Amino acid sequence: MTAAASFRQVLGFFAFLGRKTGKTRVFAILGLMPVALAVIVRVVLHGRAGLMAAVFTDILMVFFLQFYIVILALFYGTSVTAEEVENRTLSYLLTRPLPKPAIVLGKYAAYTLLMFAMVSLSLALSYFIMNAARLTDPALYLTFLGYLGVLGLGILAYTAFFTFLGTLLKRAIIVGLVFGFGWENVIQYFPGSTQRFSVVHYLKSLLPYRPMSGGGKGVALLLFRLEPTAPLAAVLMLAVITAALLALACWIFRTKEYLTED
Amino acid sequence: MTAVIAASNLSKWYGNVLGLNDVSLEIEAGITGLLGPNGAGKSTFMKLITGQMKPAIGTVTVRGIKTWNNPGVFREIGFCPEQDVFYDELTGWQFLTGLLRFYGYAKSEIRDRADRALDIVDLSKDKDRLIRGYSRGMRQRIKFAQAIAHDPGILILDEPLSGLDPLGKRKLIRLVKEFKSQGRTVLVSSHVLPEIEALTSRIVLIHQGKILAQGDIPFIRELIEAHPHQISVRSSEPRTLAARFVGDPSIQKMTFGPDGRTLIVETHKRDDFFGRLTGVVLEAGIEVEEITSPDDNLQAVFEYLVGK
Repeated sequence: MTAAASFRQVLGFFAFLGRKTGKTRVFAILGLMPVALAVIVRVVLHGRAGLMAAVFTDILMVFFLQFYIVILALFYGTSVTAEEVENRTLSYLLTRPLPKPAIVLGKYAAYTLLMFAMVSLSLALSYFIMNAARLTDPALYLTFLGYLGVLGLGILAYTAFFTFLGTLLKRAIIVGLVFGFGWENVIQYFPGSTQRFSVVHYLKSLLPYRPMSGGGKGVALLLFRLEPTAPLAAVLMLAVITAALLALACWIFRTKEYLTED
Repeated sequence: MTAVIAASNLSKWYGNVLGLNDVSLEIEAGITGLLGPNGAGKSTFMKLITGQMKPAIGTVTVRGIKTWNNPGVFREIGFCPEQDVFYDELTGWQFLTGLLRFYGYAKSEIRDRADRALDIVDLSKDKDRLIRGYSRGMRQRIKFAQAIAHDPGILILDEPLSGLDPLGKRKLIRLVKEFKSQGRTVLVSSHVLPEIEALTSRIVLIHQGKILAQGDIPFIRELIEAHPHQISVRSSEPRTLAARFVGDPSIQKMTFGPDGRTLIVETHKRDDFFGRLTGVVLEAGIEVEEITSPDDNLQAVFEYLVGK
């Protein structure tokens, strides 16, 4: 079996298995939070389209970009290898004719697809509920696709980082939490080039800058001090981060021994 | 005969702890039992053979091929891990077909192989139940099924009989023997001599990471019989039973347990004692409630062999 075929088989198996886990159910329910919020906002701000758009940008930045995709990537990314070691199921994979990189990349791909499906559903529901009055406007769909693309890139990059952490460390979740909700949240507001050491900087660089009316409120605070990277450079940087971290994860998984507690 | 599995000066450390110490061993076709107490290094040896661990020193090969980072060799190997762990969200069928995908078979072949393996382990009726709902015996059997489903020439079984009831053990022993009768190689580990005895007469004794002895069952039996063996017999009439054994040359010592219903016998000749016990019980019409061996005789043999 070729490496590509091995990758496809691992992807298929874990995409199926991933759908059945309790973790997926919990995160899918979590994804309903912005949908519920969208319903409330729609009722409260009925007829005030501008304000609703601004609130949606807040939801996008605060919930999706800085929380949902980070927490999803943290739990799924670290689990690529860690769950096999902790659950002691790794021997079922290591004693099959599968190249080790195919195991890492196959699981990574399966989990990113799963996360992307959850994020897409949540984003689509909340976005279209809040913009229900403009459903005939083609620009609405283009904007949606843009948001979805940015979140997709975020999922790929964050999951690659947490996959790398999971292959390297035993307690990757703790380090991952510090990175995802510490480093990423703080470093993005540093002036100059320091903010380029965060993933979220490149994601935010891809989003349209839209300060809220009244300035200094809501999302404007989160975009404060953003010195955006050019969109193409941002996409390239995210691709390089993703590829480099996945290559490292594969190399570590190939060379490291994982001792289960027998 | 050519060695199917060969270890040469194989050593493995876990930090400062020695897991396996300079093991050189050749395993041929047929069933070989790897016998040793818990923590002896059996699982470490099996993980090295199955490429889950990298040797610190020495080499281990399967049909002349090193197993670490060599996934192609696993078409030939079926491994049944000791741990009672699974992807619990799956049914038996999904578990088997899922793992069979990793061999690159076509869908129809995956279904055929899974059906055949489930049929062999008598789980066809329960294939659509979640594994988490299986009994311990069923879980052991589905673990065995995943090891044989791809039709490997070599089967590595880590404590496969552990936790099974007598009927479950009999079934699994039959399956392993059938597998062997097809000219294949089986390496099976256990810390219980009778389990290994039921499977094979060719055994390897392992203790504290070292191979202490290799040989057939009578050789090991001799070693065991050189040590007093404790047997506890609980019955309604322990004193009548004891009276019948007074003067029996196979017995070294007899005492009564604190419950007043247990006769504890120390003997060098376990088989002779059991042979006589059956006759005495039948003659005297004594109702025996339980027969156990409270001491670990295998441990005694190991201690003798390492000179403790």
